[in-house]
Amino acid sequence: MAMGRFLLKRSVQGVFVVWGVVTAVFALRYVTPGNPITFVAPLDAGPELREQIARELGLNRPFYVQYFDYIFSLLQGDMGYSYIQGVEASKLIFARLPATVELAVAASVVAVVLSIPLGVISATRRHEPADYAATSFSLIGISTPNFWLGIMLVLVLSVQFGLFPTSRRGIGLAPAIGMLVTQLDFSGLVTWLSHMILPAVTLGTYFTALITRLTRSGMLDELGKPYVRASRAKGLPETLVRYKHALRNTLIPVITVLGLQLGTLIGGAVITEAVFAWPGLGTLLINAINSRDWPLIQGSLIVIGTGFVLINIFVDALYAYINPQVVH
Amino acid sequence: MAHDEGASRRTFLKTAGTAAAAASVAGCTGGGGTQETTTTGGTTTETDTQTETSEEGDLPDEFAVTITQGQMPTTLDPQNHRSTPTDNVVLHAYEGLLGRDQQGKIVQKLATNYERQEPGRVRFQIREGVTFHNGDQLTPEDVAFSINRIVDESVSIASPQADQLAGVTGAEVVDGQRAVDVMSDGANPIVFSLFATYCDVMQQSWVEERSKSEIAQQMNGTGPFVLEQFQSNVRVEFSRNEDYWRQPPAVTSLTFRAAEESSTRVNQLLEGESDIIVNVPPQSIGRVRNNGSTRISAAPSTRILYNAMKYNVEPFSSVEFRRAMNLAVNLESIIENVLSGFADPTNQPTLEGFFGFNSDVSQYPHDPAQAEQLVEESGHAGVSITLHTPVGRYLKDVEIAQAVANQIDQLSNVSCSVRQREFATLAGELTDGNLETSPDFYLIGWGNATFDASQTIIPLLTCDGALTSYCNEQVDQQMNQAQSQTDEQQRDQTLQQVNQTLHDQAPWIFLNRQYSVYGVRNRVEWQARRDERIDAYAMEPAESQ
Repeated sequence: MAMGRFLLKRSVQGVFVVWGVVTAVFALRYVTPGNPITFVAPLDAGPELREQIARELGLNRPFYVQYFDYIFSLLQGDMGYSYIQGVEASKLIFARLPATVELAVAASVVAVVLSIPLGVISATRRHEPADYAATSFSLIGISTPNFWLGIMLVLVLSVQFGLFPTSRRGIGLAPAIGMLVTQLDFSGLVTWLSHMILPAVTLGTYFTALITRLTRSGMLDELGKPYVRASRAKGLPETLVRYKHALRNTLIPVITVLGLQLGTLIGGAVITEAVFAWPGLGTLLINAINSRDWPLIQGSLIVIGTGFVLINIFVDALYAYINPQVVH
Repeated sequence: MAHDEGASRRTFLKTAGTAAAAASVAGCTGGGGTQETTTTGGTTTETDTQTETSEEGDLPDEFAVTITQGQMPTTLDPQNHRSTPTDNVVLHAYEGLLGRDQQGKIVQKLATNYERQEPGRVRFQIREGVTFHNGDQLTPEDVAFSINRIVDESVSIASPQADQLAGVTGAEVVDGQRAVDVMSDGANPIVFSLFATYCDVMQQSWVEERSKSEIAQQMNGTGPFVLEQFQSNVRVEFSRNEDYWRQPPAVTSLTFRAAEESSTRVNQLLEGESDIIVNVPPQSIGRVRNNGSTRISAAPSTRILYNAMKYNVEPFSSVEFRRAMNLAVNLESIIENVLSGFADPTNQPTLEGFFGFNSDVSQYPHDPAQAEQLVEESGHAGVSITLHTPVGRYLKDVEIAQAVANQIDQLSNVSCSVRQREFATLAGELTDGNLETSPDFYLIGWGNATFDASQTIIPLLTCDGALTSYCNEQVDQQMNQAQSQTDEQQRDQTLQQVNQTLHDQAPWIFLNRQYSVYGVRNRVEWQARRDERIDAYAMEPAESQ
């Protein structure tokens, strides 16, 4: 019951956050230099043509009229039309969303699968070669710019050895699974994986390093606490002490970071998307900002904001599950 | 200047110039595959206006080509955009009344004949036997509707291409004939040149039955390729139009993709994931050339880069100072070191090969000593100036600006720095109709696909130009004169005089003509064009394939 109230409260807060984002972005129109007509009209367009285009896009109406009109449309699921592309903004955004979510989740999976074992090994074998190797890896991972790493991976593994495609998405995960289920055809999944590995590793390396360090320091902290000593004194097996008690407590900050990271990635891994020509939300948003395509900017930010809110609610729920005191 | 393909550049440009001239004439007629006789000002020129056709012969059963540009098309509506990458996609499905061939010469497309009836009225005869992709016949009504859709916002949309058909006020079907009359304000001497570059024909009923959004995502043209699949921002796929009114193309399936990063495009080319890529950066040219299965194909484009100097603000109000800036810049060095030789120097607003280009105009030499002396004479010794440049809008724009600023800064009596600007903000300042809000000194590029000097000089260098940084009554008078002259030679002379005046007045630091540099896989026979179009109709499988 308390848990339900807690999540409902978080959801209501989330709605206000998204509304705040929409309002702030709308206000930004009036303080940001640059006019969308610059991109819709030719550079040498005369004032008449500019006025025509402004009328067509509804930009000649007062701010408050545009704002309330947009909010009203949004409540009906209408994000408006892209100024530049003349297509429903929602259509463009949701066409990009699967690619972004796939990449974000894949990068997070890479991070979790590698970092938590590395962090635990590093902490439990402190000052041993395994620890030095793990800390060296995490230092390199945190220090490596991902645009450089991406380009190097492509040059070595794709161009030099031809192991992976150089770029692009190839196929979506849903159609790939569809091929597998309906035709028992693995080729779609293989294509999806071959296109996904390099961008996921590029994007996931920094987070792998970050979470490795976080897990290591968390584990070291937990292993030094009195309850661990007490558990050992009671004769509990070491594996149980480490992985049931210490690791569980260590995971609380790790989950927070993972949640925030996933939210950030859904916001768009712009650099990685550019290096791999990945058709994600990040590049869509950057292009929209560069061309002042406000319906697309607003729509993208609403989706990203909503994604953040949902992930935060999920993380809060996990928190509450791991540590019920949070609810109170 | 070395580039991998192409004949003598000068011969090529001369041909293109002649073509542009032919496009600008007062009256011309042509018949499919016939010799066209043009009479202007007492001179008769013969221009070959053969309809563009691919070589007769067996078509390949399978020849798939993938092209990777920097951006995906913004829309599939051919009349609702102003972007070259979009043009490159939509012009495979849609066609205009006239077009240009590889050499820049005017060719007939959906018009079989075109002539001036009187000043302000030209007539196009519409080709018979042409069908849209949905199987319907092309009619003169479709043509008139397409022209009106561009120039008249009440027809359908406020088309951003209205200015591309400069002076055109509307079109109507000629009673009892398969012809369309196009009306213009004034004589409009360049009307055929405009139609050779712009105005794609759409089917009236198809457009009227669809929403703006549907038109932006579907295609129904008369062109050599039929839309198969459009995934916004991911890919556009075409198949060969077997019912094309000309010989169908050799390419059986055509895919357009995009990669913003030049290194990504280069990797795709080297790995065989793409057959043609745009804008190979200077630092990657060696990789493409040395790969064994790829090559560089380059052509001078229709885009000029320049540094505008606002005529009504000190120190740029002084002609001596403006000339000094031109003398301070070592353009050859910039072309060689920043652009790896893939650029041409300019000395006037009009590019070589364009109608109105003045070949007698000399290049500003690199002469810092004389530049310093002129700065002293101008009375602005010791001045500090700032060059505003967009970032990433043009090839090596920031690097060019930095080189220019460094060379000016080396003068003992001028300091110069660079300010990098986001293009949207800079463009907003330049296009707000208020010269006061423009920077005093800025780098910008200008593309002119009409091959006519007026379409650069009028917007950029006349008192009322939409993007002007300069005002000179003599130039304005001469341009007004040129725009009312229907005699080709007289108009050419007038424009050449204007170019000489503008060279002497130095309203710009004349920089480089940009090149279009493509990476091409050897399996594809294709040569770069100077109008930045990538025409898959002209592609064929290489003989060795």
